[in-house]
Amino acid sequence: MFAGIDLGSRSVKIALMEKDRPPRLQKYDTMEFYRAHGKKVSGKFMLDVAGTGLPGAGAGITATGYGRHSVKVRGARVIPEIKAHMLGAIHLTSLADFTLLDLGGQDSKVALVRGGRMVDFMTNDKCAASTGRYLENMAAALNISLVELSRHYRSPVELASTCAIFGESELIGKVVEGYSIPALAAGVNHSIFKRILPMLNRLISKTIVFTGGVAYSEALRLIIAEKTGAQVVVPENPEYAGAIGCCVEAMR
Amino acid sequence: MSKAGITTTVPVEVIFAAGWVPVDLNNVFITGENPRVMVEEAELAGFPRNICAWIKGIYSTVIKNRDIRTIIAVTQGDCSNTHALMEILQMAGVEVVPFAFPYDRDPDLLRLQLEKMMSSFGVSWKTVQEAKDRLDRVRRKVWELDRLTWEEDRVGGWENHLYQISSSDFNGEPEKFAVEVDDLLEKARAAPPREGELRLGYIGVPPIVAELYPYLEERGARIVYNEVQRQFTMPFMTRDLVEQYRLYTYPYGIFFRLEDICREVARRKLDGIIHYAQSFCYRQIEDIIVRKKLDLPVLTLEGDIPSKLDARTRMRLDVFLDMLR
Repeated sequence: MFAGIDLGSRSVKIALMEKDRPPRLQKYDTMEFYRAHGKKVSGKFMLDVAGTGLPGAGAGITATGYGRHSVKVRGARVIPEIKAHMLGAIHLTSLADFTLLDLGGQDSKVALVRGGRMVDFMTNDKCAASTGRYLENMAAALNISLVELSRHYRSPVELASTCAIFGESELIGKVVEGYSIPALAAGVNHSIFKRILPMLNRLISKTIVFTGGVAYSEALRLIIAEKTGAQVVVPENPEYAGAIGCCVEAMR
Repeated sequence: MSKAGITTTVPVEVIFAAGWVPVDLNNVFITGENPRVMVEEAELAGFPRNICAWIKGIYSTVIKNRDIRTIIAVTQGDCSNTHALMEILQMAGVEVVPFAFPYDRDPDLLRLQLEKMMSSFGVSWKTVQEAKDRLDRVRRKVWELDRLTWEEDRVGGWENHLYQISSSDFNGEPEKFAVEVDDLLEKARAAPPREGELRLGYIGVPPIVAELYPYLEERGARIVYNEVQRQFTMPFMTRDLVEQYRLYTYPYGIFFRLEDICREVARRKLDGIIHYAQSFCYRQIEDIIVRKKLDLPVLTLEGDIPSKLDARTRMRLDVFLDMLR
Protein backbone atom coordinates (compact mmCIF):
# COMPACT_ATOMS: atom_id res chain seq x y z
CA MET A 1 0.00 0.00 0.00
CA PHE A 2 1.29 3.45 -0.96
CA ALA A 3 -0.08 6.72 0.31
CA GLY A 4 0.27 10.08 -1.42
CA ILE A 5 -0.73 13.34 0.20
CA ASP A 6 -1.01 16.68 -1.58
CA LEU A 7 -1.10 19.59 0.88
CA GLY A 8 -2.86 22.17 -1.26
CA SER A 9 -3.77 25.71 -0.33
CA ARG A 10 -7.51 24.98 -0.46
CA SER A 11 -7.76 21.23 0.10
CA VAL A 12 -5.67 18.30 1.15
CA LYS A 13 -5.90 15.39 -1.28
CA ILE A 14 -4.99 11.85 -0.31
CA ALA A 15 -4.54 8.86 -2.60
CA LEU A 16 -4.05 5.27 -1.45
CA MET A 17 -2.74 2.92 -4.10
CA GLU A 18 -1.79 -0.68 -4.57
CA LYS A 19 -0.32 -2.04 -7.78
CA ASP A 20 -2.92 -2.81 -10.48
CA ARG A 21 -5.81 -1.43 -8.46
CA PRO A 22 -7.71 1.81 -8.89
CA PRO A 23 -6.66 4.36 -6.26
CA ARG A 24 -8.79 5.25 -3.25
CA LEU A 25 -9.18 8.99 -3.02
CA GLN A 26 -10.13 11.37 -0.21
CA LYS A 27 -10.28 15.11 0.09
CA TYR A 28 -10.32 17.43 3.12
CA ASP A 29 -10.61 21.17 3.57
CA THR A 30 -7.04 22.34 4.29
CA MET A 31 -7.85 24.33 7.42
CA GLU A 32 -10.08 21.61 8.88
CA PHE A 33 -7.47 18.98 8.12
CA TYR A 34 -4.69 20.96 9.79
CA ARG A 35 -6.89 21.58 12.84
CA ALA A 36 -7.90 17.93 13.16
CA HIS A 37 -4.57 16.26 12.48
CA GLY A 38 -1.89 18.86 13.21
CA LYS A 39 -0.07 19.83 16.37
CA LYS A 40 3.10 21.63 17.34
CA VAL A 41 5.96 19.29 18.19
CA SER A 42 9.12 21.03 19.44
CA GLY A 43 8.27 24.24 17.62
CA LYS A 44 7.34 22.59 14.32
CA PHE A 45 3.87 21.97 12.97
CA MET A 46 3.48 18.21 12.51
CA LEU A 47 0.69 16.39 10.78
CA ASP A 48 -0.14 13.01 12.19
CA VAL A 49 -2.15 11.21 9.59
CA ALA A 50 -3.24 8.27 11.70
CA GLY A 51 -7.02 8.30 11.69
CA THR A 52 -7.35 9.64 8.16
CA GLY A 53 -7.31 6.27 6.50
CA LEU A 54 -3.64 6.48 5.67
CA PRO A 55 -1.63 3.40 6.58
CA GLY A 56 0.39 3.03 9.79
CA ALA A 57 2.09 5.90 11.53
CA GLY A 58 3.28 7.39 8.31
CA ALA A 59 5.22 4.51 6.80
CA GLY A 60 5.17 4.69 3.01
CA ILE A 61 3.75 8.20 2.81
CA THR A 62 4.94 10.56 0.09
CA ALA A 63 3.89 14.18 0.41
CA THR A 64 3.82 17.20 -1.86
CA GLY A 65 2.04 20.52 -2.13
CA TYR A 66 2.24 24.11 -1.07
CA GLY A 67 2.44 23.24 2.63
CA ARG A 68 5.26 20.76 2.34
CA HIS A 69 7.99 23.10 3.61
CA SER A 70 6.06 24.61 6.50
CA VAL A 71 4.23 21.47 7.57
CA LYS A 72 6.02 18.26 8.41
CA VAL A 73 4.12 15.08 7.77
CA ARG A 74 5.34 12.52 10.23
CA GLY A 75 7.49 9.95 8.47
CA ALA A 76 6.75 11.22 4.98
CA ARG A 77 9.08 11.66 2.07
CA VAL A 78 8.60 14.99 0.26
CA ILE A 79 8.71 15.66 -3.48
CA PRO A 80 8.12 18.92 -5.43
CA GLU A 81 4.61 19.61 -6.71
CA ILE A 82 5.35 19.86 -10.41
CA LYS A 83 7.07 16.50 -10.34
CA ALA A 84 4.15 14.95 -8.46
CA HIS A 85 1.62 16.40 -10.90
CA MET A 86 3.64 15.26 -13.88
CA LEU A 87 3.94 11.70 -12.57
CA GLY A 88 0.23 11.69 -11.76
CA ALA A 89 -0.62 12.97 -15.23
CA ILE A 90 1.53 10.31 -16.90
CA HIS A 91 -0.05 7.60 -14.75
CA LEU A 92 -3.60 8.79 -15.40
CA THR A 93 -3.27 9.34 -19.16
CA SER A 94 -0.50 6.88 -20.18
CA LEU A 95 0.92 9.72 -22.29
CA ALA A 96 4.66 10.50 -22.46
CA ASP A 97 4.79 13.64 -24.62
CA PHE A 98 2.55 16.51 -23.61
CA THR A 99 2.27 19.90 -21.99
CA LEU A 100 1.04 19.69 -18.44
CA LEU A 101 -1.24 22.48 -17.30
CA ASP A 102 -2.06 22.37 -13.62
CA LEU A 103 -4.35 25.02 -12.19
CA GLY A 104 -4.80 24.70 -8.45
CA GLY A 105 -6.00 26.79 -5.54
CA GLN A 106 -3.29 29.42 -5.87
CA ASP A 107 -0.81 27.96 -8.34
CA SER A 108 -0.67 27.81 -12.08
CA LYS A 109 1.97 25.50 -13.47
CA VAL A 110 2.95 24.58 -17.00
CA ALA A 111 5.48 21.83 -17.71
CA LEU A 112 6.80 20.41 -20.94
CA VAL A 113 7.01 16.62 -20.80
CA ARG A 114 8.97 14.64 -23.38
CA GLY A 115 9.54 10.89 -23.19
CA GLY A 116 8.04 10.85 -19.69
CA ARG A 117 10.55 13.44 -18.39
CA MET A 118 10.09 17.09 -17.58
CA VAL A 119 12.28 19.22 -19.85
CA ASP A 120 11.06 22.71 -18.94
CA PHE A 121 8.50 24.36 -16.71
CA MET A 122 7.00 27.71 -15.73
CA THR A 123 4.81 28.75 -12.84
CA ASN A 124 3.00 31.87 -11.75
CA ASP A 125 5.23 33.81 -9.43
CA LYS A 126 4.08 36.79 -7.43
CA CYS A 127 0.43 36.74 -8.46
CA ALA A 128 -2.40 34.25 -8.03
CA ALA A 129 -4.83 35.82 -10.49
CA SER A 130 -4.97 32.75 -12.72
CA THR A 131 -5.99 30.13 -10.23
CA GLY A 132 -8.89 28.43 -8.50
CA ARG A 133 -9.03 31.02 -5.77
CA TYR A 134 -9.72 33.67 -8.37
CA LEU A 135 -12.59 31.59 -9.78
CA GLU A 136 -14.03 31.13 -6.29
CA ASN A 137 -13.91 34.87 -5.63
CA MET A 138 -15.49 35.68 -8.97
CA ALA A 139 -18.26 33.08 -8.52
CA ALA A 140 -18.97 34.58 -5.09
CA ALA A 141 -19.05 38.09 -6.58
CA LEU A 142 -21.57 36.90 -9.18
CA ASN A 143 -23.47 34.93 -6.53
CA ILE A 144 -23.35 31.72 -8.60
CA SER A 145 -21.80 28.29 -7.97
CA LEU A 146 -18.46 27.19 -9.43
CA VAL A 147 -20.37 24.63 -11.49
CA GLU A 148 -22.51 27.37 -12.99
CA LEU A 149 -19.45 29.55 -13.61
CA SER A 150 -17.76 26.71 -15.47
CA ARG A 151 -20.61 26.38 -18.00
CA HIS A 152 -20.08 29.64 -19.85
CA TYR A 153 -17.57 30.52 -22.51
CA ARG A 154 -19.52 32.25 -25.30
CA SER A 155 -19.73 36.06 -25.81
CA PRO A 156 -17.36 36.94 -22.97
CA VAL A 157 -17.33 40.38 -21.38
CA GLU A 158 -13.85 41.91 -21.65
CA LEU A 159 -12.21 42.05 -18.21
CA ALA A 160 -9.00 44.07 -18.21
CA SER A 161 -7.68 44.07 -14.64
CA THR A 162 -4.45 42.20 -14.06
CA CYS A 163 -5.15 41.93 -10.34
CA ALA A 164 -7.61 39.37 -8.96
CA ILE A 165 -8.90 41.78 -6.35
CA PHE A 166 -9.40 44.70 -8.74
CA GLY A 167 -10.91 42.16 -11.14
CA GLU A 168 -13.66 41.62 -8.64
CA SER A 169 -14.58 45.30 -8.47
CA GLU A 170 -14.37 45.50 -12.26
CA LEU A 171 -16.80 42.58 -12.47
CA ILE A 172 -19.23 44.28 -10.11
CA GLY A 173 -18.99 47.37 -12.33
CA LYS A 174 -19.97 45.24 -15.33
CA VAL A 175 -22.94 43.79 -13.40
CA VAL A 176 -24.15 47.32 -12.83
CA GLU A 177 -23.76 48.03 -16.57
CA GLY A 178 -26.31 45.30 -17.15
CA TYR A 179 -24.31 42.44 -18.69
CA SER A 180 -25.87 38.97 -18.35
CA ILE A 181 -24.48 36.39 -15.92
CA PRO A 182 -23.46 34.01 -18.77
CA ALA A 183 -21.48 36.80 -20.48
CA LEU A 184 -19.82 37.78 -17.21
CA ALA A 185 -19.00 34.16 -16.33
CA ALA A 186 -17.54 33.66 -19.81
CA GLY A 187 -15.47 36.83 -19.27
CA VAL A 188 -14.03 35.40 -16.06
CA ASN A 189 -13.10 32.13 -17.78
CA HIS A 190 -11.50 33.93 -20.71
CA SER A 191 -9.50 36.17 -18.37
CA ILE A 192 -7.95 33.11 -16.69
CA PHE A 193 -7.03 31.73 -20.08
CA LYS A 194 -5.37 35.01 -21.10
CA ARG A 195 -3.17 34.93 -17.99
CA ILE A 196 -1.93 31.39 -18.59
CA LEU A 197 -1.53 31.77 -22.36
CA PRO A 198 1.99 33.30 -22.25
CA MET A 199 3.21 30.28 -20.26
CA LEU A 200 1.34 27.79 -22.46
CA ASN A 201 2.65 29.43 -25.63
CA ARG A 202 6.25 28.96 -24.56
CA LEU A 203 5.83 25.29 -23.70
CA ILE A 204 3.11 24.14 -26.10
CA SER A 205 2.58 20.57 -27.38
CA LYS A 206 -0.05 18.91 -29.56
CA THR A 207 -1.59 17.54 -26.37
CA ILE A 208 -2.29 19.44 -23.18
CA VAL A 209 -2.99 17.39 -20.05
CA PHE A 210 -5.06 19.63 -17.81
CA THR A 211 -5.03 18.84 -14.07
CA GLY A 212 -5.84 20.51 -10.75
CA GLY A 213 -9.23 21.51 -9.41
CA VAL A 214 -9.76 24.10 -12.16
CA ALA A 215 -9.67 21.30 -14.76
CA TYR A 216 -13.25 20.48 -13.73
CA SER A 217 -14.24 23.64 -15.62
CA GLU A 218 -15.69 22.63 -18.95
CA ALA A 219 -15.61 26.22 -20.16
CA LEU A 220 -11.85 26.45 -19.65
CA ARG A 221 -11.26 23.10 -21.35
CA LEU A 222 -13.16 24.32 -24.39
CA ILE A 223 -11.48 27.74 -24.44
CA ILE A 224 -7.99 26.20 -24.20
CA ALA A 225 -8.72 23.68 -26.96
CA GLU A 226 -10.24 26.30 -29.26
CA LYS A 227 -7.59 28.98 -28.77
CA THR A 228 -4.47 26.79 -28.80
CA GLY A 229 -5.62 24.15 -31.30
CA ALA A 230 -4.21 21.49 -28.99
CA GLN A 231 -6.02 18.39 -27.84
CA VAL A 232 -6.96 18.94 -24.19
CA VAL A 233 -6.99 15.80 -22.06
CA VAL A 234 -8.52 15.99 -18.59
CA PRO A 235 -7.95 12.79 -16.63
CA GLU A 236 -10.54 11.43 -14.27
CA ASN A 237 -10.22 13.10 -10.83
CA PRO A 238 -7.84 15.78 -12.15
CA GLU A 239 -7.30 17.40 -8.75
CA TYR A 240 -5.80 14.18 -7.39
CA ALA A 241 -2.94 14.13 -9.94
CA GLY A 242 -0.46 15.37 -7.30
CA ALA A 243 -1.49 12.82 -4.66
CA ILE A 244 -1.49 10.01 -7.22
CA GLY A 245 1.90 11.19 -8.51
CA CYS A 246 3.26 10.84 -4.97
CA CYS A 247 2.15 7.19 -4.95
CA VAL A 248 3.69 6.65 -8.39
CA GLU A 249 7.01 8.06 -7.17
CA ALA A 250 6.89 5.77 -4.12
CA MET A 251 6.17 2.73 -6.31
CA ARG A 252 9.08 3.42 -8.66
CA MET B 1 37.63 60.92 5.66
CA SER B 2 34.68 62.03 3.53
CA LYS B 3 32.33 59.35 2.26
CA ALA B 4 30.91 59.12 -1.25
CA GLY B 5 27.78 57.00 -1.60
CA ILE B 6 27.48 54.87 -4.73
CA THR B 7 24.28 53.22 -6.01
CA THR B 8 26.09 50.90 -8.41
CA THR B 9 29.68 50.30 -9.42
CA VAL B 10 31.40 53.45 -10.66
CA PRO B 11 35.12 54.16 -11.20
CA VAL B 12 36.00 53.99 -7.49
CA GLU B 13 39.63 54.64 -8.42
CA VAL B 14 38.70 58.33 -8.65
CA ILE B 15 37.13 58.31 -5.17
CA PHE B 16 40.06 56.51 -3.56
CA ALA B 17 42.54 58.81 -5.38
CA ALA B 18 40.83 61.79 -3.76
CA GLY B 19 41.31 60.23 -0.32
CA TRP B 20 37.55 59.71 0.00
CA VAL B 21 35.84 56.47 1.04
CA PRO B 22 33.30 54.94 -1.34
CA VAL B 23 30.24 53.38 0.29
CA ASP B 24 28.13 50.98 -1.74
CA LEU B 25 24.69 51.91 -0.46
CA ASN B 26 23.18 48.59 -1.60
CA ASN B 27 25.51 46.73 0.74
CA VAL B 28 24.81 49.03 3.68
CA PHE B 29 21.07 48.63 3.13
CA ILE B 30 20.95 44.86 2.73
CA THR B 31 23.41 44.00 5.51
CA GLY B 32 21.73 46.42 7.94
CA GLU B 33 19.81 45.29 10.97
CA ASN B 34 16.38 45.34 9.40
CA PRO B 35 16.38 46.01 5.65
CA ARG B 36 12.67 45.36 5.43
CA VAL B 37 11.93 48.28 7.75
CA MET B 38 14.07 50.49 5.49
CA VAL B 39 11.81 49.62 2.57
CA GLU B 40 8.71 50.35 4.63
CA GLU B 41 10.09 53.70 5.75
CA ALA B 42 10.58 54.75 2.12
CA GLU B 43 6.99 53.75 1.40
CA LEU B 44 5.84 55.86 4.34
CA ALA B 45 7.79 58.75 2.78
CA GLY B 46 5.72 58.27 -0.38
CA PHE B 47 7.63 55.80 -2.57
CA PRO B 48 5.14 53.69 -4.55
CA ARG B 49 4.52 50.09 -3.54
CA ASN B 50 5.31 48.92 -7.08
CA ILE B 51 8.87 50.23 -7.27
CA CYS B 52 12.09 48.26 -6.83
CA ALA B 53 12.91 47.61 -3.15
CA TRP B 54 16.60 48.41 -3.71
CA ILE B 55 15.71 52.00 -4.61
CA LYS B 56 13.61 52.33 -1.46
CA GLY B 57 16.29 50.73 0.69
CA ILE B 58 18.97 53.08 -0.65
CA TYR B 59 16.74 56.08 -0.02
CA SER B 60 16.25 55.20 3.66
CA THR B 61 19.94 54.32 4.02
CA VAL B 62 21.02 57.78 2.86
CA ILE B 63 18.41 59.55 4.97
CA LYS B 64 19.60 57.66 8.07
CA ASN B 65 23.38 57.89 7.45
CA ARG B 66 23.98 61.60 7.91
CA ASP B 67 27.72 61.19 7.21
CA ILE B 68 27.07 60.40 3.54
CA ARG B 69 26.39 63.79 1.96
CA THR B 70 27.79 63.15 -1.53
CA ILE B 71 26.51 60.55 -3.96
CA ILE B 72 27.66 59.49 -7.40
CA ALA B 73 24.59 59.33 -9.59
CA VAL B 74 24.78 56.95 -12.53
CA THR B 75 22.66 58.77 -15.05
CA GLN B 76 23.20 56.29 -17.86
CA GLY B 77 23.83 52.57 -17.52
CA ASP B 78 21.39 52.17 -14.68
CA CYS B 79 17.64 52.61 -14.35
CA SER B 80 15.39 55.64 -14.47
CA ASN B 81 14.27 54.92 -10.92
CA THR B 82 17.81 55.86 -9.88
CA HIS B 83 17.34 59.24 -11.57
CA ALA B 84 14.25 59.98 -9.53
CA LEU B 85 15.99 58.72 -6.39
CA MET B 86 18.83 61.18 -6.98
CA GLU B 87 16.36 64.02 -7.43
CA ILE B 88 14.64 63.15 -4.14
CA LEU B 89 18.00 62.99 -2.37
CA GLN B 90 19.09 66.26 -3.96
CA MET B 91 16.00 67.83 -2.45
CA ALA B 92 17.07 66.42 0.92
CA GLY B 93 20.36 68.35 0.61
CA VAL B 94 22.64 65.61 -0.73
CA GLU B 95 25.29 66.63 -3.26
CA VAL B 96 24.98 64.63 -6.48
CA VAL B 97 27.90 63.97 -8.84
CA PRO B 98 26.59 62.62 -12.17
CA PHE B 99 28.31 59.85 -14.09
CA ALA B 100 27.16 58.26 -17.36
CA PHE B 101 28.29 55.00 -18.93
CA PRO B 102 27.83 55.71 -22.67
CA TYR B 103 25.27 53.33 -24.17
CA ASP B 104 27.47 52.31 -27.10
CA ARG B 105 30.63 51.97 -24.95
CA ASP B 106 32.21 54.85 -26.82
CA PRO B 107 35.76 55.27 -25.40
CA ASP B 108 35.95 59.06 -25.99
CA LEU B 109 32.67 59.72 -24.21
CA LEU B 110 33.68 57.43 -21.37
CA ARG B 111 37.02 59.22 -21.01
CA LEU B 112 35.18 62.54 -20.88
CA GLN B 113 32.90 61.22 -18.12
CA LEU B 114 35.88 59.99 -16.14
CA GLU B 115 37.62 63.34 -16.50
CA LYS B 116 34.51 65.19 -15.36
CA MET B 117 34.31 62.98 -12.29
CA MET B 118 38.04 63.50 -11.68
CA SER B 119 37.64 67.27 -11.78
CA SER B 120 34.73 67.07 -9.28
CA PHE B 121 37.04 65.25 -6.90
CA GLY B 122 40.10 67.35 -7.84
CA VAL B 123 42.37 64.46 -8.86
CA SER B 124 44.79 63.85 -11.75
CA TRP B 125 45.27 60.87 -14.09
CA LYS B 126 48.48 60.06 -12.24
CA THR B 127 46.86 59.63 -8.83
CA VAL B 128 43.92 57.79 -10.35
CA GLN B 129 46.32 55.37 -12.04
CA GLU B 130 48.04 54.83 -8.69
CA ALA B 131 44.68 54.10 -7.10
CA LYS B 132 43.98 51.60 -9.89
CA ASP B 133 47.26 49.80 -9.22
CA ARG B 134 46.42 49.69 -5.53
CA LEU B 135 42.92 48.25 -6.16
CA ASP B 136 44.08 45.82 -8.84
CA ARG B 137 46.34 44.15 -6.27
CA VAL B 138 43.22 43.42 -4.19
CA ARG B 139 41.12 42.47 -7.21
CA ARG B 140 43.65 39.82 -8.23
CA LYS B 141 43.04 38.06 -4.94
CA VAL B 142 39.28 38.05 -5.54
CA TRP B 143 39.83 36.71 -9.08
CA GLU B 144 41.73 33.85 -7.51
CA LEU B 145 38.82 33.23 -5.14
CA ASP B 146 36.53 33.03 -8.15
CA ARG B 147 38.88 30.63 -9.93
CA LEU B 148 39.00 28.40 -6.84
CA THR B 149 35.20 28.39 -6.94
CA TRP B 150 34.71 27.12 -10.48
CA GLU B 151 37.97 25.50 -11.43
CA GLU B 152 38.93 23.77 -8.21
CA ASP B 153 35.50 23.55 -6.55
CA ARG B 154 36.83 24.67 -3.19
CA VAL B 155 34.69 27.77 -2.51
CA GLY B 156 30.95 28.00 -1.86
CA GLY B 157 28.53 30.12 -3.87
CA TRP B 158 27.84 32.48 -0.97
CA GLU B 159 31.50 33.35 -0.36
CA ASN B 160 31.96 33.80 -4.08
CA HIS B 161 28.99 36.18 -4.09
CA LEU B 162 29.98 38.08 -0.95
CA TYR B 163 33.62 38.84 -1.76
CA GLN B 164 32.97 39.72 -5.38
CA ILE B 165 30.06 41.99 -4.55
CA SER B 166 32.14 43.69 -1.88
CA SER B 167 34.65 44.62 -4.60
CA SER B 168 32.36 47.49 -5.61
CA ASP B 169 33.75 49.52 -2.67
CA PHE B 170 36.18 47.07 -0.95
CA ASN B 171 34.20 47.83 2.25
CA GLY B 172 35.93 51.21 2.15
CA GLU B 173 39.28 49.74 3.22
CA PRO B 174 40.99 47.81 0.39
CA GLU B 175 43.98 46.56 2.39
CA LYS B 176 41.85 45.30 5.30
CA PHE B 177 39.55 43.65 2.79
CA ALA B 178 42.58 42.03 1.11
CA VAL B 179 43.57 40.43 4.42
CA GLU B 180 40.08 38.93 4.75
CA VAL B 181 40.30 37.55 1.22
CA ASP B 182 43.76 36.11 1.95
CA ASP B 183 42.33 34.30 4.99
CA LEU B 184 39.56 32.82 2.92
CA LEU B 185 41.97 31.83 0.13
CA GLU B 186 44.13 29.99 2.62
CA LYS B 187 41.14 28.10 4.02
CA ALA B 188 39.84 27.33 0.55
CA ARG B 189 43.14 25.92 -0.69
CA ALA B 190 43.24 23.59 2.31
CA ALA B 191 39.64 22.43 1.80
CA PRO B 192 38.93 19.26 -0.16
CA PRO B 193 37.33 19.87 -3.56
CA ARG B 194 33.56 19.40 -3.63
CA GLU B 195 32.21 16.65 -5.79
CA GLY B 196 29.00 15.54 -7.44
CA GLU B 197 27.22 18.89 -7.28
CA LEU B 198 25.05 20.50 -9.91
CA ARG B 199 26.88 23.55 -11.28
CA LEU B 200 24.74 26.64 -11.54
CA GLY B 201 25.23 30.13 -12.86
CA TYR B 202 23.50 33.14 -11.32
CA ILE B 203 22.88 36.05 -13.65
CA GLY B 204 21.17 39.39 -13.08
CA VAL B 205 21.34 41.84 -10.22
CA PRO B 206 22.41 40.41 -6.86
CA PRO B 207 19.59 38.66 -4.97
CA ILE B 208 17.63 40.48 -2.28
CA VAL B 209 17.25 37.07 -0.58
CA ALA B 210 20.61 35.78 0.65
CA GLU B 211 19.16 32.42 1.72
CA LEU B 212 19.30 31.32 -1.92
CA TYR B 213 22.92 30.15 -1.68
CA PRO B 214 22.66 27.85 1.38
CA TYR B 215 19.29 26.58 0.19
CA LEU B 216 20.82 25.38 -3.09
CA GLU B 217 23.90 23.89 -1.44
CA GLU B 218 21.78 21.93 1.03
CA ARG B 219 20.23 20.37 -2.06
CA GLY B 220 23.48 19.48 -3.79
CA ALA B 221 23.74 22.42 -6.17
CA ARG B 222 26.31 25.20 -6.05
CA ILE B 223 26.48 28.53 -7.81
CA VAL B 224 29.91 28.62 -9.43
CA TYR B 225 29.26 31.75 -11.47
CA ASN B 226 27.88 35.01 -10.09
CA GLU B 227 27.69 37.16 -13.19
CA VAL B 228 27.21 40.74 -12.00
CA GLN B 229 29.09 40.23 -8.74
CA ARG B 230 32.08 39.03 -10.78
CA GLN B 231 31.82 42.11 -12.96
CA PHE B 232 32.29 44.23 -9.84
CA THR B 233 35.81 42.78 -9.60
CA MET B 234 36.72 44.16 -13.06
CA PRO B 235 37.71 40.68 -14.23
CA PHE B 236 39.35 41.73 -17.50
CA MET B 237 42.94 42.70 -16.84
CA THR B 238 43.95 45.93 -18.51
CA ARG B 239 46.26 48.81 -17.59
CA ASP B 240 43.93 51.33 -19.19
CA LEU B 241 41.19 52.65 -16.89
CA VAL B 242 38.91 53.71 -19.77
CA GLU B 243 39.22 50.26 -21.30
CA GLN B 244 38.54 48.67 -17.91
CA TYR B 245 35.16 50.41 -17.65
CA ARG B 246 34.39 49.60 -21.29
CA LEU B 247 34.97 45.89 -20.69
CA TYR B 248 32.90 45.97 -17.51
CA THR B 249 29.58 44.62 -18.82
CA TYR B 250 26.90 45.52 -16.30
CA PRO B 251 25.96 49.08 -17.36
CA TYR B 252 25.78 48.22 -21.05
CA GLY B 253 23.17 46.37 -23.13
CA ILE B 254 22.01 42.81 -22.60
CA PHE B 255 23.74 41.54 -25.76
CA PHE B 256 27.15 42.65 -24.51
CA ARG B 257 26.42 41.02 -21.15
CA LEU B 258 25.34 37.83 -22.89
CA GLU B 259 28.70 37.54 -24.67
CA ASP B 260 30.34 37.36 -21.26
CA ILE B 261 27.66 35.01 -19.89
CA CYS B 262 27.97 32.56 -22.82
CA ARG B 263 31.76 32.48 -22.46
CA GLU B 264 31.49 31.65 -18.76
CA VAL B 265 28.71 29.07 -19.24
CA ALA B 266 31.08 27.09 -21.45
CA ARG B 267 34.24 27.69 -19.45
CA ARG B 268 32.64 26.81 -16.10
CA LYS B 269 30.66 23.86 -17.53
CA LEU B 270 27.33 24.98 -16.10
CA ASP B 271 24.28 22.71 -15.86
CA GLY B 272 21.76 25.51 -15.58
CA ILE B 273 21.25 29.24 -15.07
CA ILE B 274 19.22 31.14 -12.53
CA HIS B 275 18.21 34.49 -13.95
CA TYR B 276 17.22 36.77 -11.11
CA ALA B 277 15.20 39.88 -11.78
CA GLN B 278 13.94 42.32 -9.20
CA SER B 279 10.19 42.90 -9.08
CA PHE B 280 9.19 45.96 -11.14
CA CYS B 281 12.63 46.14 -12.84
CA TYR B 282 12.95 46.79 -16.57
CA ARG B 283 15.41 43.90 -16.66
CA GLN B 284 12.45 41.54 -16.32
CA ILE B 285 11.74 42.34 -19.97
CA GLU B 286 15.28 41.30 -20.91
CA ASP B 287 14.48 37.83 -19.59
CA ILE B 288 12.84 37.17 -22.97
CA ILE B 289 16.20 37.73 -24.69
CA VAL B 290 18.14 35.77 -22.07
CA ARG B 291 15.91 32.73 -22.57
CA LYS B 292 16.19 32.95 -26.35
CA LYS B 293 19.95 33.33 -26.41
CA LEU B 294 21.02 30.77 -23.82
CA ASP B 295 20.78 27.14 -24.79
CA LEU B 296 20.87 25.62 -21.31
CA PRO B 297 17.97 25.43 -18.83
CA VAL B 298 17.08 28.80 -17.32
CA LEU B 299 15.02 29.40 -14.18
CA THR B 300 13.80 32.95 -13.81
CA LEU B 301 13.42 34.10 -10.22
CA GLU B 302 11.76 37.24 -9.05
CA GLY B 303 12.51 38.88 -5.71
CA ASP B 304 10.66 41.77 -4.15
CA ILE B 305 11.36 42.67 -0.52
CA PRO B 306 14.22 41.42 1.68
CA SER B 307 12.92 38.26 3.33
CA LYS B 308 13.42 34.53 3.50
CA LEU B 309 12.83 32.40 0.42
CA ASP B 310 9.08 32.05 0.08
CA ALA B 311 7.33 28.72 -0.46
CA ARG B 312 6.77 29.36 -4.18
CA THR B 313 10.42 30.14 -4.86
CA ARG B 314 11.51 27.05 -2.91
CA MET B 315 9.15 24.92 -4.94
CA ARG B 316 10.46 26.37 -8.19
CA LEU B 317 14.08 25.83 -7.14
CA ASP B 318 13.35 22.23 -6.10
CA VAL B 319 11.74 21.44 -9.44
CA PHE B 320 14.54 23.12 -11.36
CA LEU B 321 17.21 21.04 -9.60
CA ASP B 322 15.11 17.94 -10.05
CA MET B 323 14.80 18.67 -13.76
CA LEU B 324 18.57 19.20 -14.16
CA ARG B 325 19.31 15.80 -12.62
